[in-house]
Parts: sequence; C-alpha cells; structure tokens
Amino acid sequence: MDSTHALKVDALTMRFGGLVAVEDFSLEMGATDLVGLIGPNGAGKTTIFNMITGMYVPSQGHVYLGKQEITGVRPANITQQGMARTFQNIRLFKDLTVLDNIRLAGHFRQKYGILSSIFHSPNFRAAEKELKKEALELLKIFKLEDKYMHLAKNLPYGEQRRLEIARALATKPKVLLLDEPAAGMNPNETKELTELIRWVRDHFQIAILLIEHDMSLVMDVCERIYVVDHGVEIAQGTPSEIQKNSKVIEAYLGTANEEGDKQ
Amino acid sequence: MQIFDYLTPLAMNIGVFIILAVSLNLINGMCGQFSLGHAGFWAVGAYTGAAYSVYFAPTALPDFINLFIACGIGFSCAALSGVIIGVPCLRLRGDYLAIATLGFGEIIRIVIMNMDVVGGPRGFTNIPHWSNIFWIYLWVLITIVFVANLLSGTHGRAIISIREDEIAAEAMGINTFKYKTLAFVIGAGFAGVAGALFAHAQQFLHPNGFTFMWSVIILLMIILGGLGSITGSVIGAVVLTILPELLRFMGETVSQWRMVIYSVLLILLMLLRPAGIFGKRELNILKLLGLKRESYHG
Repeated sequence: MDSTHALKVDALTMRFGGLVAVEDFSLEMGATDLVGLIGPNGAGKTTIFNMITGMYVPSQGHVYLGKQEITGVRPANITQQGMARTFQNIRLFKDLTVLDNIRLAGHFRQKYGILSSIFHSPNFRAAEKELKKEALELLKIFKLEDKYMHLAKNLPYGEQRRLEIARALATKPKVLLLDEPAAGMNPNETKELTELIRWVRDHFQIAILLIEHDMSLVMDVCERIYVVDHGVEIAQGTPSEIQKNSKVIEAYLGTANEEGDKQ
Repeated sequence: MQIFDYLTPLAMNIGVFIILAVSLNLINGMCGQFSLGHAGFWAVGAYTGAAYSVYFAPTALPDFINLFIACGIGFSCAALSGVIIGVPCLRLRGDYLAIATLGFGEIIRIVIMNMDVVGGPRGFTNIPHWSNIFWIYLWVLITIVFVANLLSGTHGRAIISIREDEIAAEAMGINTFKYKTLAFVIGAGFAGVAGALFAHAQQFLHPNGFTFMWSVIILLMIILGGLGSITGSVIGAVVLTILPELLRFMGETVSQWRMVIYSVLLILLMLLRPAGIFGKRELNILKLLGLKRESYHG
C-alpha cells in the first residue's frame, strides 16, 4: 500500500438499527488525486461522506487523514486537520454576506482572543485585515469579488455552488469532498464546473473526492471512480473501465433477465 | 419637580430592561438558541449582588465602587449558573432547549424562595439605594459596546454562523458547542448585571418578581425589536417598558387589559413585520455621526 495517501478509508460499515447502509467500504487517495464516487440513488454515497467527515460515527472501520486517524472525531476537528466538504443541498450561511461566509471558514485559524475583539486591539485589527484580504483574494479566483457584500441567499444558484466550494477551500484543506456539485446545473454550468474542479486541484494541489450523478462530469474529470450500490462497492477503476463494467451497467439500468424472470 | 420622582425610576427600569434584552438577544437572536430562562439569571444577579451589599460590602469603600463590585459579582454568579445550566441544556435543540431553560429559570426562583438568608418568601429588604441613572446607563453602554464589538470579530461571526446553519458551521471547523456556551454565558452574565443594578434601584427583591412571565416579556422585547438586532432590542425594551405606563394613564380598565394588548400587538407584528421592527439590521450611531473610521463588516 502507498504510504503517502491523503485520505484512506478502511472497511467502513454503517448500520442504522437493522439497516446496513454501507458495508465494508474502502478507499485510498493520493495527495492530488481526483476521485469520483458514483452509484444509483440511495446507494449510500452521502452516508460514506458523512462518515468520512465525522457527521456520522461509523459502526465499524477506520478513516485516516494523512497518517492521522480521524474515526469518530468531531466534524469541526476534522475540518481543522485539513478536510473540507460541500453539501448536496447547498448549506451557505444565507443571511450573511459572501465575505462573511468565506471569513467564517478562516475562523479556527484566528489566534486573537475574545478580549481583543471587545477592545478592538491592534492585534484584532491586524488579524481582521489579513483575514479580509485573504478572503477577497480567494473570492477573486472564484469571480465573486464584486459581490462580496451581497447576502449569500441573493446569489444565483450557480454562484452559490461556487461560493460553497470557495468557502470549503478557505479552510485550507488537504482533501476536499464535493457532494453533488453539479446538482441542478445546466450543461453549460456543468462544463464550467468541470474546468473549475480540475483547476482547483491543480492550483491548490489537493485531493478531491466527489459524488456526482452527472456522468459527463464524472467521466470527464475523475481519474479513478468507485461505484457503490446498496452500500457495497461493486467496481472501481478508470472512467473507461467503469463504462464497460457489466456490474455497473446492471446497477444503473437493471438486467434484461430480471424482466424475463417475472414473465 | 414631582414629575422626576415618577420619570427617574421609569428611566432606570428602561435601562435595566435594555441590558436584559440585549443580553437575551445574544443568545436567542444571534446564536439562535431559544432560551426562556432569562429571568432566572436576572434573579441570580439581583440576589447575589444584593447579598454582597447587605452582608459583605465594606462601608469604607465609596458606594459606587461597592455597586461596581456588586455588578461584578452579579455577572460572575449569573455567568457561572449559565455554565451550569448551559452545558447540559445546549445539547438540546429548539423547543427542547426552551423547555429545559424554562425549567431551570423556575428552579432558580424556587431555590431563592427557600433561602432564608436572602429573605425567602418574605423578600429581601434593606438593599442600599446605590443605582442611579448614570451607573445604569453606563452599564447599558458597556453591554451594547461589548456585544456589538464581540459580534464584529471572529468569535461573534462564529456565534452568528450557528444561527444560520449549525451543520455548516461545524463543517467549517467551528466548535459549535463552545460558541453556543459562550453566547449563553455572556448573555447570562449581563442579565446578572441587570439584576444587580435592579436590586440597588428597587431596594427590595421578591422571588415572585422573577417569574417565567418576565422571561416571556424580555423575549417579547427582542421579538418586537427584531431577533438579531441590538438596535431592535433597545427599541423593544423601551417600548415594552413604557407601554404599561401609558396604559396606566388610560385608566384602570385599560391597564387590566395589558396582556391582551400585548397579544394583539404581537399578532399585528407577526402579520405586518414578521422579522420585528428592525429585522437583523442595525442603526449605527458612529456611522451616522461620521465617526467610524474603518469598517470590519466589509
């Protein structure tokens, strides 16, 4: 096994009562890998994400971020150790400005204390100035700098998606998890997003794991793909391998026999 | 002037309620944690501050220093009870948190009722009259500046992010439990200061003066003014402290209908301005006067 993995998931299992949502799922990614996680609806993809990011505590198995084990650690601490995520249904701080959304992601790196902010000490001024500068630079990359004082809820849908990715990157992660980033986008926006994801990986030199239903995006951008169905991994490989894999086709389209058997 | 004998205590009451409303707004409006136990923290501050003045205050010290110490003690004891109540309760969400804090508020009142050393059901008497308009409004100013400045920094943003989306806040590396507790404790602390000032203005405390009804009225103030707006809390506190007085002038029958009028007012508010008078907006006095040099809000 490669010892320089950025993220390693080892035999994760999640049970909700009697229901096994995910069983024995393993995954490994290098420092700049772009990996996709696909599967039909209800296959357990988001559950896997939630276990990796600490939202759920897995019933069994381990998650390692770099060399650090992060199984069962609080989500906030996992983020602080270098993993960021976006959500399937956008979860921005809707009533805050675009700038504040980004600045919040820099919160845990702030060193000044509460008293500094009460008295607006020089310490506070310097740190806030730096934080604002960094946030604006990041917004510039995502072409949102003109809208930094807009409330997040007033942005168009595509920009909200971009802002969410920008906000995740503002935590300075080593691994970025995108949960259906293209959901609700039109083909043009999806194409732009494809470019953006690839560019983010190259520019920030991070590993990206993404869940996606849009096959054009997944096949285009991912170097390796894991396919899950009913909580179990059914295939992994390069996009072209996955496209030819009979099990994958079966999972998505069903088999001819099934229909025949019933008759 | 006789009119001042009437207006001064009223103005002092308004100041006390401004502190209570602004501090509750930090918990309910900014952090989004529905607390209904504010009267409890108010009582803790009032009784501990008064107990200091009655039993421990050295007469050698000037009154205003003793009052300041009483306020500090009120703050610390209320904040401490905020920790004790907040740590278990803040794991609950929404309605459950409201019910738990309501219960704790009542527990505090019943405990005081059974403490003979502070008068118990007879009430706490002989509290020195140290509060005046100046000291009360100095504390109003301290509270507002404290809360406003806290919110302008990264810790305040963290508190607000919990109101906006707790799951996203956690995913952004914000320790949500820590900041919920922080908001709760600071809010409780300032309610304690309001209590200490109130005790030294009224000179008499009774546990039944801190019933659950008062938590609701403070909540009404911040809902009226706008959850999440400091300016709104101030306006809400002023309006709901003056309103019963105005009703009093309209005669006995009208003032008996006080709670009905409150309800009608609230229904009207919900229909016409669901976010409260100010919503989440602030009136920035420094900006109005052109004194603000640099904005950290962007």
